[in-house]
Amino acid sequence: MNSQHINKIALLGVLALAFALPLVVRSATYLHILVLLFFYAYLTTSWNIVGGFAGVLPLGHAAFVGIGAYTSTVLSLQYGISPWIGMVVGGVLAMIAGIIIGLPTLKMRGAYFALATIAFAEGLRVMVENIDYLGPLKINGPRGLQIPPLETGFSHFMFATKEPYYYIILIMLLLVMLLTYMVSRSKLGYYLVAGGEEPEAAMALGVNVARARLIAMAVSSFLTALAGTFYAQFSLYIHPKSIISLDMSFEIAFIALIGGRGSIVGPILGALLLRPVSDFCRIYFGDSLPGLHLIIFGLVLILVMLYQPRGLQEPISRLYQRIINRPQPATSGS
Amino acid sequence: MALLQVEKMTKEFGGLRAVDSLDLTIEPGQIFGLIGPNGAGKSTAFNCIAGAFAPTSGKITFDGEVINGEKPWNLCKSGLARTFQIVKPFASKDVLYNVTVASFSTTNSRKHAEEKAMAVLESLNFADKKNVLAGNLTIADRKRLEIAKALATEPKLLLLDEVMAGLRPNEVDEMVSIFQDLRKQGITIFIIEHIMRAIMALSDHIVVIQFGKKIAEGSPAEIANDERVIKAYLGDDYVVA
Repeated sequence: MNSQHINKIALLGVLALAFALPLVVRSATYLHILVLLFFYAYLTTSWNIVGGFAGVLPLGHAAFVGIGAYTSTVLSLQYGISPWIGMVVGGVLAMIAGIIIGLPTLKMRGAYFALATIAFAEGLRVMVENIDYLGPLKINGPRGLQIPPLETGFSHFMFATKEPYYYIILIMLLLVMLLTYMVSRSKLGYYLVAGGEEPEAAMALGVNVARARLIAMAVSSFLTALAGTFYAQFSLYIHPKSIISLDMSFEIAFIALIGGRGSIVGPILGALLLRPVSDFCRIYFGDSLPGLHLIIFGLVLILVMLYQPRGLQEPISRLYQRIINRPQPATSGS
Repeated sequence: MALLQVEKMTKEFGGLRAVDSLDLTIEPGQIFGLIGPNGAGKSTAFNCIAGAFAPTSGKITFDGEVINGEKPWNLCKSGLARTFQIVKPFASKDVLYNVTVASFSTTNSRKHAEEKAMAVLESLNFADKKNVLAGNLTIADRKRLEIAKALATEPKLLLLDEVMAGLRPNEVDEMVSIFQDLRKQGITIFIIEHIMRAIMALSDHIVVIQFGKKIAEGSPAEIANDERVIKAYLGDDYVVA
């Protein structure tokens, strides 16, 4: 049995475990936590396409989550359009927003791009908080929108139990990971990495760095918005502070940086590690110490950046390689 | 027809005129040397030709087209490749990945790009290092990686900016023979170099600049005996009257 076989078996094992988990975890609370874990893993994987591979640091991705959530919710509440269609519409709107932000800012270096994305997301939040009607669309200002659970079923994207949500977000996560894998092995992926590491050298080798980043930004914002619709249908209540908050934008970036930017497993590892911290902080210290999880994340981030600047995926994948290569030291493994 | 024609090219940075109405003509198949003391404006001239800066004035014609202010990635696609004086590897990736980025400029398929990158690495005797991270290479290998990347874009004209600086004498000899091979393959080479032994051995034609201006031009032998060149490099005292 060679290491490629072992990789396949390990992957299938993890997949089987992920699909079987709701059979074991019967508690709605724990299932809820798992759904949010996968939700964040999905968001971070989407973020990673621009924030990881392209080497820029977007800190306003909550804006796209918000655009997705509000678009599908308004369309379904006011016009009776299925959230699945609203999901795609929201994705397209977020993509347009991503391109509009990206066009002037993606040529900027480092911190300027990060600041521009924060400014956009905060601007959007303040705007949504202060208007009740956007033209004919009711967005209800700071009170947010409630989705009445009238009809359940797949076409309404509404279910009485948590399991369907679990499987939907799990499949979304797997698809976006597959997409990331394909991007990382494509011309676009090579161009993003090259432009992220040495833009000048990349340009001299035929890479239009700004264009590659803009494509990545468009794809990333589209995918991020899809999760916004999911969140709205899952929690049945959205308001600006919950869905366009800097908290969420930062948490995505924290998960990516701690797990490992620009790798495929990094966001998953980061979410596995940080989401429970975040949830338990909210459960036990939500009243007394709100925001405690961000302080803990900051400390963890400092430690990770000091000792494993490329994220936790690096030591963990090295450990994994060592384990699977041990049984046959004589054969030449890669 | 000349492959590269530079006419009255000037580049100013604020009040400083780094390149001052420079004229150059490079014929296909030539190895063309550009030398001059430190700060003479060699790299600036390169950067203008390669599209990193737009020249303040003047005209640059490459392969029959005016390329003033054209973007570097488009120049690369039309057959103009360059290396950087300060090497710029994609440090977190291995050698093969680095070269594959470059070979993607002529194909969209990763398989083709990797095959082409491997061919370039083999032609430079570099294939054994394909899985080494670029950040872990020695300086000689980093310079070689710069050349491999430039070659993988399939250039007609290769701009080499001090690729031999910091190399040991035997490594310089190896580079010289690599460039002689490239010329045999039909690649025109425009080279900036401080190592006189190498540039004298390689070049068909040399231009000397000082303070952004051309002060001499000719064959290596003519340049070596030119009074103005000796003065520029060593000062008035060394000119044999």
